[in-house]
Amino acid sequence: MSLLLSSISFGLITAAVLSIAAVGFTLQFAVTDVLNLAFGAVMIVSAYVAYAINSLGVSVWVGVVAAAMTGAVVSLALNRGVYTPFKRRGISPIAMVIVALGMTLILEFGLQAIVGADSVSYRLNQGPNIGLGSFRFSLVQLVILSLALVIMTAVHALLRYSRLGKAMRATAANPSLARNSGIRTDQVVTVTWAISGALCGIAGSIFAIDAGSFGATSTDLFLVLILAAVFLGGPGQAYGAMLGAAIIGLSTEVGAAYITPAYKDVIAFVLLLGMLALRPTGLLGNRT
Amino acid sequence: MSADLSNKMSTGHKRAGATLCTVGLTAGYGGRPVVHGVSINVEPGRVVSIVGPNGSGKSTMLKSIVGVVKVLSGSVILDDVDITNQAPEDTARVGVGYVPQVDDVFGPLSVKENLEMGGYLLPSGEVPGRIDKVLTYFPRLATMLTRRAAQLSGGERKMLAMGRVLMLQPALYVLDEPTANLAPAIAMELLHEHVRQLAVDGASVLIVEQRAKAVLGISDHTYVLAGGRLRMQGSPTELASSPDFVDSFLGGGHGNAKFGSP
Amino acid sequence: MGHNAAIFYIITLLVYGGVDALACLGLSIQFGVAGVTNFGFIIFQAAGAYAAGVLSMPGDSANGGFQSYIAGLDLPFPLPWIGAAVVGGLLALPFTLLVGKRLRGDFAAVGLLVAAVMANLLVTNYRPLFNGSAGLSLVPAPLQDSFDPQSTGYQWGYCGAVILLAALVYYLLHRLTESPYGRTLRAMRDNDVVADSLGKNVLSLRLSMLVLGGAIAGLSGGILVGFINLWAPSGWGYAETVVLFAAVIIGGAGNHKGAILGAILVPLGFLEASRFIPPFGSPGLIPALQWVAIGLLIIGFIWFRPQGILPEKRRVNIGFVLPPATAGREAAGVIDEGSDAVPTLPGAAGPATKTEGPGRPVLRLDPRLSTLSPQHRDGEVTVLEAVELTRHFNGVPAVAGVSFPLVNGRLTGLIGPNGAGKSTTLAMLAGTLPVSSGSIRYLGQDITAMPAYKRARRGLVRTFQLASEFKRLTVLENLLSAVPSQPGDSMRGALLGRRYWSAGEEQAIAEATTMLERFDLTKYANHYAGDLSGGQRRLVEIMRALMAAPTVLLLDEPMAGVHPHLAREIGHQLVALCEEGMTILMVEHELSIMDEFCDPVVVMAEGAVLAQGTMGELRNRSEVVEAYLVG
Repeated sequence: MSLLLSSISFGLITAAVLSIAAVGFTLQFAVTDVLNLAFGAVMIVSAYVAYAINSLGVSVWVGVVAAAMTGAVVSLALNRGVYTPFKRRGISPIAMVIVALGMTLILEFGLQAIVGADSVSYRLNQGPNIGLGSFRFSLVQLVILSLALVIMTAVHALLRYSRLGKAMRATAANPSLARNSGIRTDQVVTVTWAISGALCGIAGSIFAIDAGSFGATSTDLFLVLILAAVFLGGPGQAYGAMLGAAIIGLSTEVGAAYITPAYKDVIAFVLLLGMLALRPTGLLGNRT
Repeated sequence: MSADLSNKMSTGHKRAGATLCTVGLTAGYGGRPVVHGVSINVEPGRVVSIVGPNGSGKSTMLKSIVGVVKVLSGSVILDDVDITNQAPEDTARVGVGYVPQVDDVFGPLSVKENLEMGGYLLPSGEVPGRIDKVLTYFPRLATMLTRRAAQLSGGERKMLAMGRVLMLQPALYVLDEPTANLAPAIAMELLHEHVRQLAVDGASVLIVEQRAKAVLGISDHTYVLAGGRLRMQGSPTELASSPDFVDSFLGGGHGNAKFGSP
Repeated sequence: MGHNAAIFYIITLLVYGGVDALACLGLSIQFGVAGVTNFGFIIFQAAGAYAAGVLSMPGDSANGGFQSYIAGLDLPFPLPWIGAAVVGGLLALPFTLLVGKRLRGDFAAVGLLVAAVMANLLVTNYRPLFNGSAGLSLVPAPLQDSFDPQSTGYQWGYCGAVILLAALVYYLLHRLTESPYGRTLRAMRDNDVVADSLGKNVLSLRLSMLVLGGAIAGLSGGILVGFINLWAPSGWGYAETVVLFAAVIIGGAGNHKGAILGAILVPLGFLEASRFIPPFGSPGLIPALQWVAIGLLIIGFIWFRPQGILPEKRRVNIGFVLPPATAGREAAGVIDEGSDAVPTLPGAAGPATKTEGPGRPVLRLDPRLSTLSPQHRDGEVTVLEAVELTRHFNGVPAVAGVSFPLVNGRLTGLIGPNGAGKSTTLAMLAGTLPVSSGSIRYLGQDITAMPAYKRARRGLVRTFQLASEFKRLTVLENLLSAVPSQPGDSMRGALLGRRYWSAGEEQAIAEATTMLERFDLTKYANHYAGDLSGGQRRLVEIMRALMAAPTVLLLDEPMAGVHPHLAREIGHQLVALCEEGMTILMVEHELSIMDEFCDPVVVMAEGAVLAQGTMGELRNRSEVVEAYLVG
């Protein structure tokens, strides 16, 4: 493949992982109005659960399922046990950011205390290389792409057509009116965190698969990419997160091919800062 | 969902309204009462209005009935069932349809989706049919089904807000200043053509309004609230001819209407 | 440990402690006092370290040329340290873009965190700048040509220098904070919109704090790099900023001693304590557990003791400390809940007598008043005028074409049903809200484009509808914060010290005393304004606005939640002020207040002016009655 094509193919993979994570992150923000900066920590914890299963000889794809469950459980506990009590206290959004960062430290370094500081890898066969038009992907990469597409479609179907999805969108748009319409917003929030937590777990394990080797703090930089995707599309907008993920994934990889690879993430940072300075509601957000 | 409610929702024609009673209702924010010992009644097929000067507690009164504000003492009875301090999602389920004064629609959602959200508690098969019914009440909405609610004009928004509530065909409508920020002509249309019609179709309607004279025109009974307390009540004709009625709004000389909280 | 090793260890601890204390002090004034949350704080320390490094190092071809970096000016001490502080301060300027804007607090925090990560990434990867990921090494120690940096004497000297600098910075910050300027910073922290409406230039204050904090952080970096002689990107990730914030929060935000305590406990004490724990588990276990513990500490403190170990002190003014009989209750912080019930003010019958007291009069008669030409009956002049004011929200006009004059020396009422646009009009007159179209003339000058704080400085002052007292300032401080042209209310004035501004402060306190007596709240002078009852807080707000010596006072529902008797007293006070020459506009719902005190009264409905006149006249006008009852 040419340089451009290969960088686009990398970009697609990054966009795939990013989209799963960004949609999860943005859904949490939509229903709770909290920027869950511990999202990356939950991702890597879930990745390690998948690793634990994988080390027993089980296929890593089963591990992904376990990661999804882990992500759901930990995210639920995080919301119920930490964010909700603090919100009820009425602390400022800045203090909430500090709390989230505190949770990140606890989760990531707690994990590191258990598993050690060395990097690990999944036992995984990349499979044969498959050609798709002018592109070439390994089987694992194709699975990742397909998984992302399936999840995006499922999220779309959930939000647009299902009763739960409508309740989620109503709760995010106007929680008090949602309650007046008979929606049990407490339950909606719980389910949203469970679903987005599962997405977090899946994203974590997929991230680990794509990265090859990983450690307890590997998602620190990735969190910034997630934030960039979320803010680009508009915080709280699920479709915005998908769009943002595509833009960030492709622009960083394609940009890296033509600028020094080390700076590829800088593109994302600049886009994020630009968005915050110029249009904080994002590309798909509504101008308030 | 109660069997009673699902019964009412599936019949789809004129339904019986519910009888609402508040007994010595005292309510307020953070333990400090804004409304003091207010008792009112609303019967099926009738429009009951609450009027009064700014800050008299009218909005708080409605919010405490539907469960948004805490009732500190007294009770709220709907068809002989005590619903005091039930959560808003529960009062919605027993047939109370509340239209707040502000934040009355789901802004980012389309008109059609707003109506669908109004029908959240319905079995999904019934929703399209119910939407059609609501559109016969508000035909103008039919031309803007895909438009985002936040982009509607003031009058259109209010119609959508009422349409959302109409989806469940509640036994009791609770409307908080529906004509606020509407041009007079549209306000009159809303009151006379739409609000009055709800009662004609059998429901109970409790409405709070600042435009006292306008709402008197459609009310069967009116309560005047000032300083969080019930000052007077009566039929529109009784009140309109009473000098005390005008005074309770504009202040000045005559006796009983004192401002401020005790 | 050998004797020498022990001494070097202690010295290292002290140097690190001093450096951390400096950094925390910078954060303390920025974040704790002024409320500027700068999550990119670590960049400033890093910038200072790099600056000191490349200023003091020889050209990059020296030492075998294995490093590559900019500058390399080989400057002697103390220039690198000065350069470090300057660079740290200058770096603050681009940061105001993110902190100055009206961005949600948590969004801004994210932006700053990202900026910190990005800076780290750029420095790591762009080797010509600061030698990339390997960082700078062989950074010269200050005065290393004259002394042996390895000697005990030198090291003690270094230690002494750091502690001296930390003490100096502490002293300067103390001066800044315990001055009218410090009070203004805290007011801005508590409510920046209100501070703006009282004449404080919030943007400029924030910028100053960023520069000051940046300079202090830069200096701390310069000091550290001179001691450890190397500096690499791995030493300043965003985790390090979290540690500094944790230190300030745990030690006590808003209290500089707390910042120092936090610096000793967290970066220093906590991370150093690991040396004394016998190693167990794998090599990385203890550092990892330390981070977990910091995370737990942060969350624990925010939950259980958000004010920190050494909380910000309540500033008690001795002049208002009551005699022993009541002192017990006062000390216990008991607020008299029953005080809302019919308090009486001096001069209860009829117009209030102007309580004579020391200090200049409350009212400021602007000399330009005499230059205005009479436009009304009795030769009265228009002081403030709204001309075709219009304001749209999302395309919907809330106020459309509103015009009316405020006549000098009159108490004008503004009434109308809900949604009429009264508060919006008042906000436009005050400058809190920009106009969509139309203009505002004040003392003969068009002020439509003038920001709110400038209007306040020219005597156009407003109050707010919702609770807007400075909660973490005492009642007395709330009043003092509004006094204009205080010599101590600038950074320069504050640094010049008490001798410079104490006379002005005494005078202000005298005025405040008079004001407190006028409204019978003297015994609450030293209470936090946030602890008072609703009606009392309203009074504090009115008093505070009066302390700003307004020419024109715009009151937004001042009687809301106030007992009727007290409302009448306030009404009398306001009339008295008008008789002395103040011009007042009052938005209110209570129409009997309008009856008794206001003339003229302007009626608004649906964004436009309906009528003007006395209440008696208006009651007879059918369109007014209709507006209230029909609309």
